[in-house]
Amino acid sequence: MSDALIRATALSLDYGRKRALDDLSFAIPPGRVVGLLGHNGAGKTSLMRALVGMASFSGGLQVLGQDPRRDRVALLEQLAYIPDVAILPRWARVGELVTLMAGMHPKFSAERARTLLRRTSVGLNDKVKTLSRGMVVQAHLALVAAIDARLMILDEPTLGLDLLSRKAFYEMLIEEWCDGERSVLVSTHQVEEVENLLSDVLMLNEGQLVLAISLQDLEQRFVALSHDPSVADAMAAAHPLLRYRVQGGSAALFDGAPPPEVQALGQRLRPSLADLFVALTRRPEINRPNRANGDQGA
Amino acid sequence: MPTWDQRSPIYQQLADQLAARLLDGEFCEGDALPSVRALAGLYMINPLTVSRALQALDEDGLLDNRRGLGFFVRPGARGRLRSMARARFLQDEWPPLRARLIRLGLRPQDLNWENP
Repeated sequence: MSDALIRATALSLDYGRKRALDDLSFAIPPGRVVGLLGHNGAGKTSLMRALVGMASFSGGLQVLGQDPRRDRVALLEQLAYIPDVAILPRWARVGELVTLMAGMHPKFSAERARTLLRRTSVGLNDKVKTLSRGMVVQAHLALVAAIDARLMILDEPTLGLDLLSRKAFYEMLIEEWCDGERSVLVSTHQVEEVENLLSDVLMLNEGQLVLAISLQDLEQRFVALSHDPSVADAMAAAHPLLRYRVQGGSAALFDGAPPPEVQALGQRLRPSLADLFVALTRRPEINRPNRANGDQGA
Repeated sequence: MPTWDQRSPIYQQLADQLAARLLDGEFCEGDALPSVRALAGLYMINPLTVSRALQALDEDGLLDNRRGLGFFVRPGARGRLRSMARARFLQDEWPPLRARLIRLGLRPQDLNWENP
């Protein structure tokens, strides 16, 4: 994987005395759809800001072969990025934004943007302030997807959108961006919704990378067993990561295959990313019962 | 959005769904299947998962992967699919069904063979 689009090695990021990212190492090869999952405050936005050179960090980080600290401008010309605070100017017409981008970004194709916008219900003459929230996000995606880049970074792009708008957003992303060569890193905490769209997952918990795995490997490594409530004690004794309810019974989730006699007590299920997320990340208030005061992180 | 059950891999479930659509005549022999990206968008699943499903149908001899053009339905695919489905029925579903019919004392002439 020498041609990784992103390669982080022992990446850490501090806000004063508060450690926001702690010793992350991972790589993102071409052609992947990578979900960055974590609760609020887990470090998702900090990581994305480090990737685009908007936050200082220690450790090694290469994005598209460049160091975001040194080559920020060159880097921003080569990737498509929607930050979590993304807004389009309310006074502008969408067509004017296309013209503006064409003048500003060397790798932007106005023709491609207009083609992408035709998929949506957004017109070139529409003013941003007249668009619904879902339409603004669609327009924004059409604009950044018209950049000839190999990497797209999306920070909580569908936050606050209704179901149909979220579906339209991801449909456009999959059909118009993912071509087997380009990769996208998308952060979200709506795990169920993106689970099947992803090829890989990075899971952050309080600044630490608790999981970095392809979905294909995930299905091999983690074993979920649905079982009758009568064998619940035997399941619990095998130390599952998580026990939960499924339709018509109980289930247990294991990291690695449990002993055969335990496996024989249940029926193997596909482990769900949402269940893993629950098992591997805990909300800070649960994790830190003794540190209730102060320490209000960024 | 279609829902997937937790019992089998998604690529397998998609392959089954596509096979069912093929059997229903929704795709004709010689026709091109929708592109990987179009299917991925339609079913809201990763393109790699779609590729695996198409690969599985290809390995069953149902599709033809023409480089750069996409997947096409092979001539004879429906007949092949039906004979595979029949074999699976006779092997997996018929024995317990037969056992149940015998237990209930039901003979072929007791069953309604007409269309409902």
